[in-house]
Amino acid sequence: MSQVPNARVEAVYFSSAGGETAVSSCLSAPIAIECARTTTNDFCRSPTADTRHPKRQAENIVYAHPFSYHRAGSLLEASELLQQLGEEARLIAGGQSLIPLMKMRMVRPSALVDINFIPGLSEIRCSDGQLRFGALARHADIEESDAASSIPIVQDCAAGIADVQVRNQGTIGGSLAEADPSGDWGAVLLTLETSVRCSRPSGERTIALDDFFKDAYTTVLGHDELISEIIVKQPAKNSAGAYLAFKRSAPVYATASAAVQLTLGDSDTCKDVRIVLGCVGLTAIRAKEAEKTLREKKLEKKRIDSAVEAVRAAAEPQDDMRGSADYKRVLIAALVKRAIGIAARRARGEQVEAGHEYVGR
Amino acid sequence: MAKTTRVKNKRLKAAAGSGKSRATGAPKWVGQPIRRVEEDRLVRGKGIFVDDQKLTGMLHIRFVRSSYGHAKITRVDVTKAAALPGVVCTLTGAEVKGLVKPFIEIGPDVGQKIADYPMAVDKVVYQGEPVAAVVAENRMAAEDAAELVEVEYEPLPPVMTAEDALKEGSLVHPGMGTNRNWHGVFEYGDMEKAFKQADHVVHIDRLHFHRFSSTPLECNAMIAVWDSRSERIEYWSNNSFPSFAAQFLSPALGVRIDQILMKSFDIGGGFGIKITNYPYMALCALASRKAGDRPVKWTETRTEHMQASAHGNERTFLDTRVALDKNGVITAIDSRHVDDCGAYPRYEPLGCVIWAQVLPGSYRVRNIRIDMNQVVTNKCPVGPNRGYSRMQQLWFLERVLDICGHSLGIPTDEMRLRNYIRKNEMPYETPNGCVYDSGDYAGMLAMGKTLVGWDDWKRKQAAAREEGRWIGLGIGSTLDSGTNNFGQARIINAGAPFSGQSKAAIAKLDIYGEVVISMGSVPQGQGHETTAAQVVADVLGVSPGHVKVKPGFDTEQNAYTGHTGTYASQFAVTGLSAIHGAATKLRKEMSRLAAWALKAKEKDLEFGVGAQGPEVRDKRSKKSINYWALANIVNVNNAGMPEKLWDVTLNCRHVYHAPFQLPDVKKKFGNLTLTYAAQIHVAVVEVDRDTFQPKILAYACVDDCGRAINPRIVEGQVHGCTAHGIGAALMEDCAYDGDGNLLASTFSDYTPITAMNMPDLLYGHMESPSPFTFNGAKGMGEGGAAPVHTICAALQDALYSKGVIINDSHNTGDSIFLAVQRAGTGGFASSVRIEHRRAAGRSAR
Ligand SMILES: Cc1cc2nc3c(=O)[nH]c(=O)nc-3n(C[C@H](O)[C@H](O)[C@H](O)COP(=O)(O)OP(=O)(O)OC[C@H]3O[C@@H](n4cnc5c(N)ncnc54)[C@H](O)[C@@H]3O)c2cc1C
Repeated sequence: MSQVPNARVEAVYFSSAGGETAVSSCLSAPIAIECARTTTNDFCRSPTADTRHPKRQAENIVYAHPFSYHRAGSLLEASELLQQLGEEARLIAGGQSLIPLMKMRMVRPSALVDINFIPGLSEIRCSDGQLRFGALARHADIEESDAASSIPIVQDCAAGIADVQVRNQGTIGGSLAEADPSGDWGAVLLTLETSVRCSRPSGERTIALDDFFKDAYTTVLGHDELISEIIVKQPAKNSAGAYLAFKRSAPVYATASAAVQLTLGDSDTCKDVRIVLGCVGLTAIRAKEAEKTLREKKLEKKRIDSAVEAVRAAAEPQDDMRGSADYKRVLIAALVKRAIGIAARRARGEQVEAGHEYVGR
Repeated sequence: MAKTTRVKNKRLKAAAGSGKSRATGAPKWVGQPIRRVEEDRLVRGKGIFVDDQKLTGMLHIRFVRSSYGHAKITRVDVTKAAALPGVVCTLTGAEVKGLVKPFIEIGPDVGQKIADYPMAVDKVVYQGEPVAAVVAENRMAAEDAAELVEVEYEPLPPVMTAEDALKEGSLVHPGMGTNRNWHGVFEYGDMEKAFKQADHVVHIDRLHFHRFSSTPLECNAMIAVWDSRSERIEYWSNNSFPSFAAQFLSPALGVRIDQILMKSFDIGGGFGIKITNYPYMALCALASRKAGDRPVKWTETRTEHMQASAHGNERTFLDTRVALDKNGVITAIDSRHVDDCGAYPRYEPLGCVIWAQVLPGSYRVRNIRIDMNQVVTNKCPVGPNRGYSRMQQLWFLERVLDICGHSLGIPTDEMRLRNYIRKNEMPYETPNGCVYDSGDYAGMLAMGKTLVGWDDWKRKQAAAREEGRWIGLGIGSTLDSGTNNFGQARIINAGAPFSGQSKAAIAKLDIYGEVVISMGSVPQGQGHETTAAQVVADVLGVSPGHVKVKPGFDTEQNAYTGHTGTYASQFAVTGLSAIHGAATKLRKEMSRLAAWALKAKEKDLEFGVGAQGPEVRDKRSKKSINYWALANIVNVNNAGMPEKLWDVTLNCRHVYHAPFQLPDVKKKFGNLTLTYAAQIHVAVVEVDRDTFQPKILAYACVDDCGRAINPRIVEGQVHGCTAHGIGAALMEDCAYDGDGNLLASTFSDYTPITAMNMPDLLYGHMESPSPFTFNGAKGMGEGGAAPVHTICAALQDALYSKGVIINDSHNTGDSIFLAVQRAGTGGFASSVRIEHRRAAGRSAR
């Protein structure tokens, strides 16, 4: 809240709703939903990088505004519920982004549509050179899946998101739908051929991830539209990546993160490369200039240095408690440089540990 | 050269004498690393915390808080909130003003002109200050209603730094007429002579110790019932110094102190920060009375805790001059310190003298002049925070040592050895009359260096430098002064009606022969139940399992004095002395009783455990009587008891008085604390050339707290203190922006340290028993923020050659990046200056 000059909590408090609907008591509802209004577990989250979005105004509150609870049995039913319940209704998956925001009353949905009970939505499958993640696949499930271990960059990402509690509960679909500028999945999956399968009553569509994010916290999804599956093309044998995120501590978003996927050609030339920067813009940023300096070139120090220079220029960070904009440019450049090195070694077949870095270690 | 001064303090001599005579017989349980008895309960979720308490008819209070750091309140309207179903009543500042007197102020003169009401009346002076409250049937209704309270403000220019405060442009409390709430000069020795004779003088413009806090897992919590029939206010709270809180609450609420009943339960951490939650206790009581005597509960949220509980003191050190001889021995220090206590002093300005407990740190320097100032600013009020007020002074001295060492080309370990107080100088009287009881700082440093592998790292460091890497080795020497003499408050305010230090305990043999110890201490994880049982077990010849210890404050059931609480590293001394005294009295009564019952002589009796449990035996006749039988005689079967035993109650209270005298207020001279535990940490830190992130490559902690009652607990405290300190040094910062907004009001921004950030700790322990305590123990819970000093020292070592001066206690990749950049453009030269006064060579190697 506080780093945003205009986002001071309003001097006069208003209530937006009448407040007569209470959460329905549903015995088997996911724990997260119970947390929203019935326990005192008050983990608070402050706004992430974006400063323009009015929804990011923290208030010092731990109980959500009253809302009604609905459980969907199928994708179609979820969409229909969203239509019936109107613009103020929201889907809930793992609740790891939504619940904290609700508890701080930074968002006040009038109704929640729970998709956790839709059958078959958390599967992780591998077929026809494609990896398919059900929208409800939890970060922890992905971390442990065989599918993920075949793509190192996916493993780097899944294993480092927040802490165990968040990884057990948070979903890949929710993460993409949330479109947090600091979300890890967005940055990582943009380095791969990724598409998002979406479903709504009028039919299905598959959207390339490159076209999916519109702005911070904003995607192309319609109000009644759900992510059902995330499809990733299995990279070629000579292709590998690395994801390096620098974090102050485990349960917070990264200060900056670098995702690099590199395809090696003969004699150490870079056949293809994708470089994506996380946390340093309103959405994850493809550093296309940096990619250009490496593509079809030999991976030499000089070239890498100029790619890193291009990365610095491509980043659009802002000052906040995680660091100054100037520093974040330095950091993102360092992370990309390291990620290129690790990706290249992995592409050559080496086993290299990588992932998240923390203050002090 | 430092002169060894002989300790003249009569009371200390007496204490030292009695300590020796009483410490006879090798203890069986004291000194053992037994498991904490409270662990099982706490780990299994069976602890009882305030929030677990649910009383019939209990209501919930919710505070509406200021979003501004400094603003006039132009309107508060609670009508909409009051109309919400479930709301029972509301409170506003104007109303509260009519119901209470402002809290007493410890400071003299201008300090007395502060009107500290528990709720903002006409203006708010820090972000998060309560401006209204809503009391409702449940927390949800209270939160919904709080949102409906309408408050309008007219912003005022906020005072956000100590230097700004001194400019007196905007005043936090206009009634004071100034922002400086305390000023005093602490001067000892002959400054003029020392500077005249100096071979080198080092000038340091500005050093800054940042604002951080403790982040107890459990935030503040309390329940208040103002019962108009019994005319009592009953509190269940996690305040960690309830007898102090009661002394503030009683005049404010206009009730006698015996009308205030305090109880505490398990507490999920405190670190001092919960001492000053009494303004909320006042508000909860008022709310309870207004709600028709119904219990009112407040459980603080984390953001409330970050914004409006208490932070640690921030301190700026200006215009420092250091005199050194040709060997790098510091002969004088002259400096101006400005402490920032936030919006209301509350426990302050005690911090303006408490640092003087460690005036020269671990060093022999005898000429010192500190011009001490404290200012109010538009930030959260401070409260005593682990290492309270001394860590700032120790950090300052450690920076002085390192900057001087580097400036003169003297290695930092050597610099310390040349300046440390020697083992054979103990007990050592400091220039201001404090008596360091015992210690071997050079020995501790040697142990720390061995643990970390200093010489090996020196070689690695040299090799790494060749590769252009930045590796630094750092030492942090700290003192954890424990058992404070409240008489030092007189140095702050000559009229302050408190001094000395005491603790009370009751040892009882209950009706069925149970040994029950009650004390009013307020443990928050320090293991009092365990160490108390160890001490009693040794006195009575039983095992700790036979001793039931009742911790927590309880006005009606447990023992207490006006000093009772958990603060100032003292339980091992004051608490255990009281318990030892009470248990000794009980043993004496049991002996008399047993001698009569067994027809034996007291000197022939021995205490132990027999077939029928704990018993007293006659060594001659081999007859014995067990505890049940003894208790039975006094409590339920006493018709046959001879009159000479009628004074035996088996319910023995003992008050321990620390051997203190009043300090000399004019000279600011006297013994301010009884014991001085020490911690010396050694770290190796590398600053990543690309990310500028500091990485801890090796970390060693050596502690000496005299006789350790329970080494396992001591080591746990060292780990906790180390984590807290590393967090403070690298991660945690209660930073504000210029408008008065706290930038770290959630854990996502404050980032308290987690296991992921911790290095492996190498641990070493030494024992220099205190001659002033019956058991040779010293308090040690605070730890003096050793890692803050140590990490700064290592960073200084890594970056001195780059021209960087580490002048802040908080360092991040970001700030290091900035510092390296600035150094490149000549920032260094302006902040530190060295005058070589004499021809004597600059190298003292
Ligand atoms: C303490 C903490 C730290 C965290 N740190 C990180 C971190 O370092 N990196 C990181 O990437 N994330 C982090 N997260 C966020 C976490 O990864 C979330 O799990 C994720 O962002 C959202 O997934 P979810 O399933 O919890 O979604 P929810 O919170 O349930 O929903 C988020 C949003 O997505 C919408 N939504 C959910 N599912 C769908 C769907 N299938 N189709 C359409 N819309 C949908 C919801 O309506 C909502 O608007 C953190 C969270 C916490 C609480």
